[in-house]
Amino acid sequence: MTLSLIEGLLLVFVLGCAIGAAVLRDVLASLMAFAAYSLGISIIWVMLEAPDVGLTEAAVGAGIMTILFILALANTVRPQENGLFESLSVRTVVLVGAFVVVMVATVPSLPPVGADGTVHPNPVVSGEVTQYYIDNAYADTEVKNAVTAVLAAYRGFDTLGEAVVVFSAGVAALTVLRQEVFA
Amino acid sequence: MSSDERTGLYVESTIIMTTVRVVAPFVLTFALFVMFHGADSPGGGFQGGVIAGSVVMMLAFAYGIDAAREWLDVRVVATLASGGVLTFATIGLGTILLGGNFLEYHLYEQFLSHATAYGIELVELGIGGIVASVAIGLFFLLAAGFGHAVDAPEDES
Repeated sequence: MTLSLIEGLLLVFVLGCAIGAAVLRDVLASLMAFAAYSLGISIIWVMLEAPDVGLTEAAVGAGIMTILFILALANTVRPQENGLFESLSVRTVVLVGAFVVVMVATVPSLPPVGADGTVHPNPVVSGEVTQYYIDNAYADTEVKNAVTAVLAAYRGFDTLGEAVVVFSAGVAALTVLRQEVFA
Repeated sequence: MSSDERTGLYVESTIIMTTVRVVAPFVLTFALFVMFHGADSPGGGFQGGVIAGSVVMMLAFAYGIDAAREWLDVRVVATLASGGVLTFATIGLGTILLGGNFLEYHLYEQFLSHATAYGIELVELGIGGIVASVAIGLFFLLAAGFGHAVDAPEDES
């Protein structure tokens, strides 16, 4: 698999931000690294031709999450500590390293990006369900975005569950914070 | 005592206020575009709802969280959240009443042409309402903080 210059730079940027979010000592700095990581990932999603996921990642991961984290941080005491980076124990590094090795070991078994399934098996493209959605989504649901068709029609019951989960999260937050109204 | 004064969260800045005043209508329009146009282009209720919620957060950052809290009508937020769930559930269960399966949109065709497309659009709007209001609610709840809630449980402002 060959990477274009932009893709390579993005990958380096995202990895750097992820490591920064993990090892930076100041919580606010770590938070900023996390937001930058989300933004980088969202651009990667767009490059992988998943604009719906990219939009969600940018809006939720980089936007709302950062704001909520900053607010939570503003309501807590931030210790002034010396040193830019967290001191890492050997045990943590070994454990996280082992996990990364296990995850990376699964990467070669993924189909290459954009594979049409003729050379490498690619269940995402050659799967029967995918083809069904692509062929019938517009006729069945009259929406051009197949993602929306799956989300609101074919898998509508799941989406109702997700919407209720979001609603319940709001209600749970009200209960935990002993408030009666949202604003 | 307001939470803004307590934590020193709010800094009045002409630059931020002017920027937000100019940008907010466009962000809200973009949110509605993402929500309404999610059927034909990337986007949908979840994304559009988050963007719509962020408009209120922008206003809160520019004009102060307490000012935004007073400006915002809590009934609108609560109606959006519960109305979204009710809209989605009603559309889904309505088809069962008509003798079909859950969310079998085309059963509404007898009342309205292109009912499937309109049904999906309504469901997306419902999701958008839920997500926007819960995002706004979490924002204000976190801004108030836990101490605020324990000190004055009756204080709704």
